[in-house]
Amino acid sequence: MTSIAEGLFKSLPKPKYTGEEEELPQHAQRGPRIVGPGQLDETQIVLRRTGPPPYGNRAGWRPRAPEDFGDGGAFPEILVAQYPLDMGRKGTQSKSNALAVQVDAEGKVKYDAIARRGHGDDRIVHASFKDLIPLRQRVDMGEVSLDRPSEEEVEAQMEKTKNALASLVSGAVAAQTPKNVKGGSRAEPTFVRYTPANQMGDTSRKNDRIMKIVERQQDPMEPPKFKHKKIPRGPPSPPPPIMHSPPRKLTAEDQEAWKIPPPVSNWKNPKGYTVPLDKRLAADGRGLQDVTINDKFAQFAEALFTADRHAREEVRLRAQMQQRLAEKEKAQKEEHLRALAQKAREERTRGRRDSRASRSPNRSRSLSGSSVRSRTPSEDEEAARERELIRRERRQDAERQLRQSRMGTERRIQAMAREQNRDISEKVALGLAKPTQSSESMWDSRLFNQTSGMSTGFNEDNPYDKPLFAAQDAINSIYRPRAQADFDDEADAEGEMGKIEKSNRFEVLGRAKEGFRGAADAEERSGPVQFEKDTADPFGIDSMIADVTAGGGAGQKRYGIQEVEKESRGSKRARVDDED
Amino acid sequence: MDVIPSTTPDEAVRRSAKRTADLFGAEYLMVAPSVTNGSIGVSYRRKAEYEDVKELPPALAEKQAKAAAARSKRPKISAQPQAESTGDRSGASTALVRRGPGPGAGGVAGEDKPKSLIQRPSATRQQPPDWHPPWKLMRVISGHLGWVRSLAVEPNNEWFASGAGDRTIKIWNLATGALRLTLTGHISTVRGLAVSPRHPYLFSCGEDKMVKCWDLETNKVIRHYHGHLSGVYTLALHPRLDLLVTGGRDGVARVWDMRTRSNIHVLTGHSGTVADVKCQEADPQVISGSLDATVRLWDLAAGKTMGVLTHHKKGVRGLATHPREFTFASASTGSIKQWKCPGGEFMQNFEGHNAVINTLSVNEDNVLFSGGDNGSMSFWDWKTGYRFQNIDTTAQPGSLDAEAGIMASTFDRTGLRLITGEADKTIKVWKPDEEATPETHPVTWAPTLGRQRY
Repeated sequence: MTSIAEGLFKSLPKPKYTGEEEELPQHAQRGPRIVGPGQLDETQIVLRRTGPPPYGNRAGWRPRAPEDFGDGGAFPEILVAQYPLDMGRKGTQSKSNALAVQVDAEGKVKYDAIARRGHGDDRIVHASFKDLIPLRQRVDMGEVSLDRPSEEEVEAQMEKTKNALASLVSGAVAAQTPKNVKGGSRAEPTFVRYTPANQMGDTSRKNDRIMKIVERQQDPMEPPKFKHKKIPRGPPSPPPPIMHSPPRKLTAEDQEAWKIPPPVSNWKNPKGYTVPLDKRLAADGRGLQDVTINDKFAQFAEALFTADRHAREEVRLRAQMQQRLAEKEKAQKEEHLRALAQKAREERTRGRRDSRASRSPNRSRSLSGSSVRSRTPSEDEEAARERELIRRERRQDAERQLRQSRMGTERRIQAMAREQNRDISEKVALGLAKPTQSSESMWDSRLFNQTSGMSTGFNEDNPYDKPLFAAQDAINSIYRPRAQADFDDEADAEGEMGKIEKSNRFEVLGRAKEGFRGAADAEERSGPVQFEKDTADPFGIDSMIADVTAGGGAGQKRYGIQEVEKESRGSKRARVDDED
Repeated sequence: MDVIPSTTPDEAVRRSAKRTADLFGAEYLMVAPSVTNGSIGVSYRRKAEYEDVKELPPALAEKQAKAAAARSKRPKISAQPQAESTGDRSGASTALVRRGPGPGAGGVAGEDKPKSLIQRPSATRQQPPDWHPPWKLMRVISGHLGWVRSLAVEPNNEWFASGAGDRTIKIWNLATGALRLTLTGHISTVRGLAVSPRHPYLFSCGEDKMVKCWDLETNKVIRHYHGHLSGVYTLALHPRLDLLVTGGRDGVARVWDMRTRSNIHVLTGHSGTVADVKCQEADPQVISGSLDATVRLWDLAAGKTMGVLTHHKKGVRGLATHPREFTFASASTGSIKQWKCPGGEFMQNFEGHNAVINTLSVNEDNVLFSGGDNGSMSFWDWKTGYRFQNIDTTAQPGSLDAEAGIMASTFDRTGLRLITGEADKTIKVWKPDEEATPETHPVTWAPTLGRQRY
């Protein structure tokens, strides 16, 4: 192998560039050159220069890196592609979107280049302060012509516009018309005569052929082959420069003035519904602010209250005083009356005594006197007694009336009720009449521990556990005489029926009028019937034992079941607990 | 310029400076470089103490002027008037605002020019306004049942049409004010109307997204232009071509071919409701004002924006093109601006109408009318921006205060009648006062001396 390679190398000429110890020409050097310590001497030290070499030393120099240009442009005498400032270099697109500075005719920087970016040249952009100044006051404004454009100009413009729009309109109209079916109309076939040329030295004569070229038939129902894709929009052109000062900050008054209530706001009520007034007030929010009431209101209210109370107190005191005075007066009057009555009574008694005293002689006189005169006093007395009777009755009436008039309403009503036998207060006191116990009806009895309650299964269709008038049927069946009972004689049955219905049936059963016999004298019971445990031995074993142990052969021997049972049997009875 | 003895010297200084500024304009203080760092006191001291040496002796001044002329660099302060005089010729001055060679500043003699450091801002540059007769109410037409939101006058000036919030279009006799016809068909407010001068057609658009073409021979709708996504607020006809431009709440202006009803262009670019659209025969053929506070000039052939005017601060609700000048005006809340047409250069402000301006109209006699949402009406001189009349409309009896508002306006074809559609459901016709003369209604105008803000 090696011999072959060596032979090959030997046969080839010596290579020009080995790539190892190559001395790059000076112009080709770039970057620092590393030299050994022995190599360094004064003559080899050169200043590193950026930028192009001076004239005369440029043989073979190629400007390649940006620094080779030294802030300048391309070298036209060097015939290679040059990219000063990397301008125009392919592949390395600059990332920055900075614009190159442009100047106008006066040498001023055109700052509106930013605003014009992405727009055409004919775009009107107002970007400078100059555009804020009224036209006639601008310095560089010559004579301002405000004439309308001439007829020719307008005509030319109209023509241009009309043509531009006509194409648009025709396109739009064509788009509106229904499209003819795809592949419906095919072009006529074309015929081509083809004469083959000599090929590959083949000079033999060939037949010329005639070819028919037909448009390929298309499927009219074929779906489109290519999807219509929307091209994404390009970057937007910059917004126009704003030629007015920023809006002023809103003052508080302005804000207040522009506060639009929600019911009429286009934003809050976009459909313009009518909102009722109370809702408006609620939405207004003004009602939600807590109202601060002046402290003086409270003071005022308190003062009013105390004044009122004071006045009431005074009125009450005055009324009390007046009542007391009236009572005193009344008492005085009564006293006076009593005194008068006393006096009158005394007088009367005295008068009676006097009259008795005077009459006794009279009687004696009558006894002794004539019959005519004696009869007259008897008639007189009778009449007087009668009158006395009437007078007493009247007095009693008057007294009762007086009492009634002095009675309070309650007492009066009571008295009237008693007169009409409607007073039950005594019955209540006696326990004969009891108010209905309404507390029972407050509870659903089904919820209590009953056999027909929830636990046994609650029938939702029938919430009543037992019929309301269950007893009625029984009563009717019990107490109504059966029609079938005496079916043979109808008239007799009718009469029986009438009799039964007329008679008061329950006379004997319940205490319809005065109760059951013997029930009246029974004592009132407050609790359930209680039973006393029978301590007596039914078989007389205890007594027998007692007899045996105590009697001890007292000779009272009993054999079999004797009289002892009688006593024990009699004691086994329900007895009413007395509870005294 | 003696100092008035007052309470404190500080105040006196300030007053003096203020008076000086008032008298000589802002230019005086601009001359003193000390003002740039904000001390009025220094300028005052310069004024008070170095008054006598302010002007150079004539010999020195001559010498300095020669030296300045020899130098290539632009002289800084003392030779500014000279630079001004050269600046007019070369157009290379740094000054943005031109002031003419005022007679009060230096006179005619060139020798005097370098002497004065200050220069009076020329008052004579301001053009005096023309006299216009004041306008007065002539007729109130009450017939609509809603706000009258659009008006259009017929080319022959015999009748005009009005569209209102009651969804009807009514046609009125212009001379008598009698109702001629009521057209129904819209199902919402009619916001725009136009009568074609070249066809027997009336075009209408409304908040129901519909644009309709009415044939005035049969009084029937013959075409619909379907495509707007929301209410259509404005409409304009091209004066030469069979085109219709509409704009609306969807923020686009649409260009329609009248006959084929096809939507030729969708002019997108506005970010808010397009409130007004105007058409003219030369570029920019379409101008649109929007509630995004911009005015756009459109290239109709390409369907692209030619330029955007962003000078307004609030939504632009009204546009008006002058019939003879190649200018137009745009109105936003509280400001009206006038523009020169092909490039949209700013011409002037119409200052003083502080309201939401709904509508603008111009006639051939250079009268600009602006109607506000609160019923305020202003009449302006188109050339100078002088407001010669400012009145409030009177709402018809029985209407609320809030119903005084101008919604639409138009001059008739002669320019001698102004028709306004108002929020009190009436149409009002105004005419210039015939008895008024410049003597009875003098122009009260004075040139402003103060510093102008742009």
